[in-house]
Amino acid sequence: MTDFRKDFVKYAKSLNEASEDKNIRTAISRAVSSYRNTVSETLERFPHTPALAEEVQEIKTRSMASLDTLLEQAMASVERNKGKAFYAKDHQAALEIALGIIGKGKTVVKGKSMLGEELHLREYLEENGNEVWETDLGEFILQLRKERPMHILSPSIHVPREQVAEVFTKFFKKEVPPDIAEEVKVVREFLREKYFTSDVGISGANVVAADTGAMVIIENEGNVRLATGAPPVHIVMVGVEKLVPTFQDAMKVAEVTWRYAQYGVPGYVNIVSGPSKTGDIEKVTTYGAHGPKEFYVIFVDNGRKEMAQEEKFTQALHCLRCGGCMYECPVFQVTAGHFGHTYMGGIGTVWTAFVSGGMEKAAPLVYSCLRCGRCVERCPMSINVPAMIGELRERIVYGTYED
Amino acid sequence: METKMPMVLDVISENIIKHGSPLALKGSEVASWAKELNLPVKGDLLFYTGGEYQMLPFIDSLVKTITHLDQGSKVFSMMMGARNILNKTGISPEKMYASVLAKDKDRYNSVCFKAAKVLKELGYEFCYSGSEELYSGALLYELGYLKDMKDYAKRVVEVIKKSGAKTIVCLSPHAAEVFKFVYPKLIEGFDFEIRTYIDLVWERRDKLAKITSPESVVIHDSCRLARELNIHQELRDILESVGAEVKEAQMNREWTSCCGGPIKILFPELSHVIGGRRVNELKDSGSSHILTSCPYCLSALEGGRAKGDSAVIEDLIEFLYRGVKA
Repeated sequence: MTDFRKDFVKYAKSLNEASEDKNIRTAISRAVSSYRNTVSETLERFPHTPALAEEVQEIKTRSMASLDTLLEQAMASVERNKGKAFYAKDHQAALEIALGIIGKGKTVVKGKSMLGEELHLREYLEENGNEVWETDLGEFILQLRKERPMHILSPSIHVPREQVAEVFTKFFKKEVPPDIAEEVKVVREFLREKYFTSDVGISGANVVAADTGAMVIIENEGNVRLATGAPPVHIVMVGVEKLVPTFQDAMKVAEVTWRYAQYGVPGYVNIVSGPSKTGDIEKVTTYGAHGPKEFYVIFVDNGRKEMAQEEKFTQALHCLRCGGCMYECPVFQVTAGHFGHTYMGGIGTVWTAFVSGGMEKAAPLVYSCLRCGRCVERCPMSINVPAMIGELRERIVYGTYED
Repeated sequence: METKMPMVLDVISENIIKHGSPLALKGSEVASWAKELNLPVKGDLLFYTGGEYQMLPFIDSLVKTITHLDQGSKVFSMMMGARNILNKTGISPEKMYASVLAKDKDRYNSVCFKAAKVLKELGYEFCYSGSEELYSGALLYELGYLKDMKDYAKRVVEVIKKSGAKTIVCLSPHAAEVFKFVYPKLIEGFDFEIRTYIDLVWERRDKLAKITSPESVVIHDSCRLARELNIHQELRDILESVGAEVKEAQMNREWTSCCGGPIKILFPELSHVIGGRRVNELKDSGSSHILTSCPYCLSALEGGRAKGDSAVIEDLIEFLYRGVKA
C-alpha cells in the first residue's frame, strides 16, 4: 500500500510558499516576457525553424526506435577517435564509472548539466574526496547557496543580485557590491584559476552524432570551452536519448535547440569528438597538445531505454531541454522549479516518473499539472505531455507501476 | 499494488460512480432549471448539461471542507473516519452544502435555462433527459480513473440512448471533449454527432438580437475549447453578430492561459493564484467585462478575482441572454 496523502499535503504547501515568493514571481515574469519576445523575433529572423523542427521530430523518432544500434555505433566512434566510451545502466553505475576515472583528491570543473543534477554528481564526487566547481554562473551561485536549480537553463532564476552579492561577499571574504557586472567579474577571476589548475573537466552534451562520435555542446558563457579545454582530462556524461545517427542530424537538432532555448544565436557551439592531438612533428600523432590528453564519454541509461520502449512515453525522450514549455506553464510561472523534482514542469514530471525519482516522487507533480496543453503549442517537438500525464494518473490510481 | 489517493479524489470519483454527479447532487436538483420549459425527453437533438454549471456553487464548499480535513492537525485519525463514512454513505451534500448562498445557486442554475432560451430563440428544437441525466464522467477521465470510466460511460450512454437523439449539444467543453474523443474508444458504436453549444449558436448567429452593451468585452478562451476543439474564432464571430466590441488579451485563442480550474480540488490556493493572474491578463486588454464559455473557467475566474475588483465575469450564455430578454 502506497499512501500518497501526506506527500500531496507537503507538496501543496511547498507550491503555496513558492507562489508567495516575490523573487520567483518577479524573476519569472521578466523571464517569460523576455523569452516570448526573443523567440518570436528569432523565429521571424530564421523562418525556416518550424520546418526544421518538424524534421528534427522525425530524426528523434527514428533515433529512439534504434537506440541500441546508435549507442553501439557511437561507442565505437568514440573509441576510434582514441577516446574511451562507457555505458552506464543506472545511476549508481554512472557515478562509479566517473569516480573510477577521476579517483580521489582531484580538482574538477564542471559545466551545467541536468544529467549531473539527476545523478547528484557533484555531491557524490565531493563525498569521495574531490573538490568540484560548478562553472556555469547560475549553478555556481546555487552551489554556494546549497540549493537546487529552479529552471533548467537559468538555474538561479529566483536569486536577485542583492542576494548574489550577499553570498559572494561571504564566500570571497571581501565586499562584493550588488552590481551584476562586478558579480560576474569576481567569479570570472576565481574560476579562471580553477580551469588551469584542475585535473578534470566534466560536461554534458546537447546532442551526440553516432557516426562521428561528435559531442555538441551549446553555451553562451564560454565556461564550457574552458572547462572542457583546459584540464588534462575531459569527461562527457550524456543521456542516451541525445543520440542521433549523423553529424548532419546533430547540427539540425542543435539549431532547433538553441533557437527555442532563447539563444537566438548562441555565443559558442562546441563540438568535441576526442582528445586533443597534433601531428605537426614528423606526422607522428601525439595526444594532449593544448587540450585534454584523455577523453571519456559515459552514456547514461538510468530508465531512458525503458521509456523508449513504452509507446505512450517514448516521445518524452525527444525533449531538447529548451525550457520553452516551462515559460508557458501557468503552474511553473508562479512556482518555478518547485513544480518539479530534478526535472521540471509537465515534461519534467514524466521524466521524474521514469528517470529521476520514480512514480512516488512524481505522483503529486502529476496531479498539479493543469493539462491545459499550452506546453504542446510551444514545444518544437510537439510532445503531448497532457496525454502522458493522463496515462501516469491512471497508473497511480490503480497502482499499476513498478517501484 | 494498492495506492491511497488524497481524499478529495476518492470523494469525487465515488460520487460520480454512485450518484452520477461529482458532488452527489440529486437529479431533481440538477434538473430544476428546466421546470417551466417543459422540454420533451425524446428528440433528434439532445440538450446536455451534465449538471456542470449547476454544481459550480458547491465546488468551493466541498474543497474547503476536504482541504480542512486533509490539512488539519488531527489529519489522519479524522481522515480514516471520514473515509469510512464516505464508503458507506457518500458525502452528504445537504450538510456540506448548507453554507452555499442562494443567489449563487440561482445564478449558476439559471445558466442552463438561459442557454436553452437562447437556442429556442434561434429556432432549435431539442430534448433533455431531466433528472435522469448523468454527468459525462469527464473528471474520471481527467483524474486517471479510466477503468471506472469504462463502466460508468455505459450507464451514461444508456440514458442518452433513451432520448433517441442523433446529435448531442454540450454546454461544457469538457463534456464535448470526452464524448468526442474518449467515448468512441470506450463504447463500441458510439456514433453520436457531438456539437458544442458554441457551434449551434454560431451557425445561426445572424438571427441573434443585437445587444447594447456600453462597454467592450474580452474573451477568455477555454483551453479545451481553443486547443482540443479548435473553437475560438466562432466566439468572436458570435460577439460581432450581436454588435459587441471585442478586445483581445495578449495570450488568447490557442495560446490562451489556463484559468487554474483543473487543480482547484487538490491545490485550491495555487489555483486561486493562477486564476487571479489570468483575470489581470484579461483586464490588460482594456476591458473589464470578461466572457468565457466553460463552467470551470467561469468558476475559477470568479474565484481568482481580487476582493473589491469590479471586473464583470460572465459566461457567454449569460451575455447572450441579454438579447433574449430585450
